[in-house]
Amino acid sequence: MSLDISFIGILIGSIMASSVPLILAASGELITERSGVLNLGVEGMMIIGAISGFALMVITDNLFIAIVGSMFSGVIISLIFGFLTQSLLTNHVATGLALTIFGIGLSAMLGKNFVGIPGKEFPILFSSLRESIPFFGPILFGHSIVLYFAFALPFLTNYFLKKTKLGLVVRAVGDSPVSASNQGINVTLVRYCCILYGGAMCGLAGAYLSLIYTPQWIENMTAGRGWIALALVVFATWSPIKVLIGALIFGGITILQLHMQAIGFRIPVQFLSALPYLMTIIVLVVISRDSRKIKLNTPTSLGRIFYKEK
Amino acid sequence: MATDLRISNISKIYPGCIANDNVTLQFKSGKIYALLGENGAGKSTLVKILSGVISPDNGEVFLNEKNLKLSSPLDAKKNKIGMVFQHFNLFETLSVFENLSIDATEDNKSLRVRINEIFKKYNFSIDLDVPVLNLSAGQKQKVEIIRCLLRSPKVLIMDEPTSVLTEQETEELFISLKKFCDEGILIIYITHKLKEVLSLCDEVAVMRKGKVVSVSQTQNEKVETLANKMVGQKLAKIKKKINISKNKDEIFKVKHLNFYSDDPFETNLVNLNFSVKKGECLGIAGISGNGQNELFQILSGEIITPDTSIIFRNKEIAKLNPKQRREYLMAFSPEDRISQAAVPELKIYENVALNNFKSSNFFEKGLVNERKIKEHSKKILSDFSVNTDNVELKSQFLSGGNLQKLILGRELITAPELLICYNPTWGLDVGAINYIHETLIKINDQEKSTILISTDTEELLKLSDRIAVIYKGKLSKIMPSEEVTPEKLGVLMGGGSID
Repeated sequence: MSLDISFIGILIGSIMASSVPLILAASGELITERSGVLNLGVEGMMIIGAISGFALMVITDNLFIAIVGSMFSGVIISLIFGFLTQSLLTNHVATGLALTIFGIGLSAMLGKNFVGIPGKEFPILFSSLRESIPFFGPILFGHSIVLYFAFALPFLTNYFLKKTKLGLVVRAVGDSPVSASNQGINVTLVRYCCILYGGAMCGLAGAYLSLIYTPQWIENMTAGRGWIALALVVFATWSPIKVLIGALIFGGITILQLHMQAIGFRIPVQFLSALPYLMTIIVLVVISRDSRKIKLNTPTSLGRIFYKEK
Repeated sequence: MATDLRISNISKIYPGCIANDNVTLQFKSGKIYALLGENGAGKSTLVKILSGVISPDNGEVFLNEKNLKLSSPLDAKKNKIGMVFQHFNLFETLSVFENLSIDATEDNKSLRVRINEIFKKYNFSIDLDVPVLNLSAGQKQKVEIIRCLLRSPKVLIMDEPTSVLTEQETEELFISLKKFCDEGILIIYITHKLKEVLSLCDEVAVMRKGKVVSVSQTQNEKVETLANKMVGQKLAKIKKKINISKNKDEIFKVKHLNFYSDDPFETNLVNLNFSVKKGECLGIAGISGNGQNELFQILSGEIITPDTSIIFRNKEIAKLNPKQRREYLMAFSPEDRISQAAVPELKIYENVALNNFKSSNFFEKGLVNERKIKEHSKKILSDFSVNTDNVELKSQFLSGGNLQKLILGRELITAPELLICYNPTWGLDVGAINYIHETLIKINDQEKSTILISTDTEELLKLSDRIAVIYKGKLSKIMPSEEVTPEKLGVLMGGGSID
């Protein structure tokens, strides 16, 4: 019996680990979307973060530089998106899609020389506690610092949006950029900041994959996680805490699918990987029944271009 | 301390239109000033300049002899100029308190205290923690006003504030505005409603085509003199001859019209019976929200109700949809021009084609005959004096009056036997209202009938041959309009009874 319990502990621990990139990317995208900007380039920004993090690690042999560098590369690539959508007023959807395609292509090109290079072991915290406490040990301890950060992030995001002045400004801009502008808020600046923040979080999510989760560079290694993160934001109806719950469910599906295959449980893999999207659609249908509730949570101006009167 | 606001030689030119042409005006605190003008006269441009939303091409603004640089809304705020826009500048999904706190400099606790002080002082009461989208239009406006008051403004500009308010709310607003004025706030009130100017304001500046054409004391003005200044020409007083021919055939007859809805925002209709004679105008009066929307939709065929009988030109049409009813020569002009009557993103000629699927040869073998539609649209534009001849123009760029003319033109070109319109002159300026009234009278003169559902009693008394009042989904008895007075209508619209 004790074996089972510790197995479940390890299982939960691995579900948590697999949900980290989803939490990071979705939390970042959530802030972006709350300001009224729909950036479909999450997958592209993640993969750029993954390759630049890994490349910097190989070149500098310094994990700290690699992590910070991956976030910086996310910022740079989201700056392209920001410039196009906010300064040149291009369509959000088309620009975001282009960003993803661009990111995947660019990362494959940059990553050519890094294929097959082994990664470096990422330091984990409290590894002794992990072994000594049954069940709770593998859940609470022995993770990288990025995981702890990821699990704190939804709460920080929630606090930021609900309790701080800046969070209020972000929500106001997402609700009505025209009103915000008339109140003297610099809508373009706020949206730029939110886009860049989203880029940084996506970059970090990518680096988590290539430096910590599976420490190596494989072409297209994000494998659709960016799209799941995008779906997750809608699934969570733009609420940070629900992003956390959703990420655990979606992360759980990924892990369980592996274990089920191992036991010989025959559910097609394709079905399980389609499950997050299926669930997002179901959630959308369910929440659509209460239009008022959606209206309260959805950034009203999402995806719309804002022109300032001159 | 007295406030003195001076606007000096302001000009703003848009491509193809001079919005403000050398505007010079002076305002002093302790008075309420009206800025009067038709739609498109340049009032809104002027207030946008004053509130820093747009910058003028030329000219200066002085507040107490200090030259203001108003290059952003922040500058207006810093200089204590408060502004309540016609289209509310609120954040719908945020709570009332969040809306008010967004540009506050103090902490939430003391802000709440200050808001409550304002509530007490002016007798306001609004739940601070509900999202703004749950508020009525009047409450939303109060939130806007409170937001201005929190910054202790020297100048308060109100842009067409009553266009969304009920009469009760308008009265409350006027009381508040007079209070603000007594406290030394300079109030600039922008409107195109003449009566409001006379009842509320001390001084009135009239704008026309971007220019200030007159500044005067309101006590020296009357509705007619102001209207003439605003429109720029002597308005012909139109008065309809009452149709005396009582023995004409009934062309339209409604029996047992009932409507029940689960939606709390809809009004149930209870057993309406009425008929319209050839060449007659039947007016249906009432305060909005008493079932007019539902009635219009049932008459136009958007809602089909069971057990209702509608006889039109001796045929039962109660089960027909709007398109089929049009084929029987009915025409409709809904209240909401932008979302119900026309598609704003479509070009003028495309909108014209929308309701003429069968009766004309606009379409051949499933293809659009653009040339014919355009010719036809041009004819409408010139026949109904819409002030453009460009049929390629998107409808959203037409002013309300021109759009209404286009819609009426589109409906009337099929030579309908019955036109049903709902608030056809809502939000329009005097010139356009006059034109539309003349058109409606002309229809009756040509022996065609109209049903006029309207919330404007003056319009009803002017145009109708018989009038009924709708109140809470019930119709009063139908009266010949020579027996009806505004007072009688008022009693019935408020739910009272006469005789």
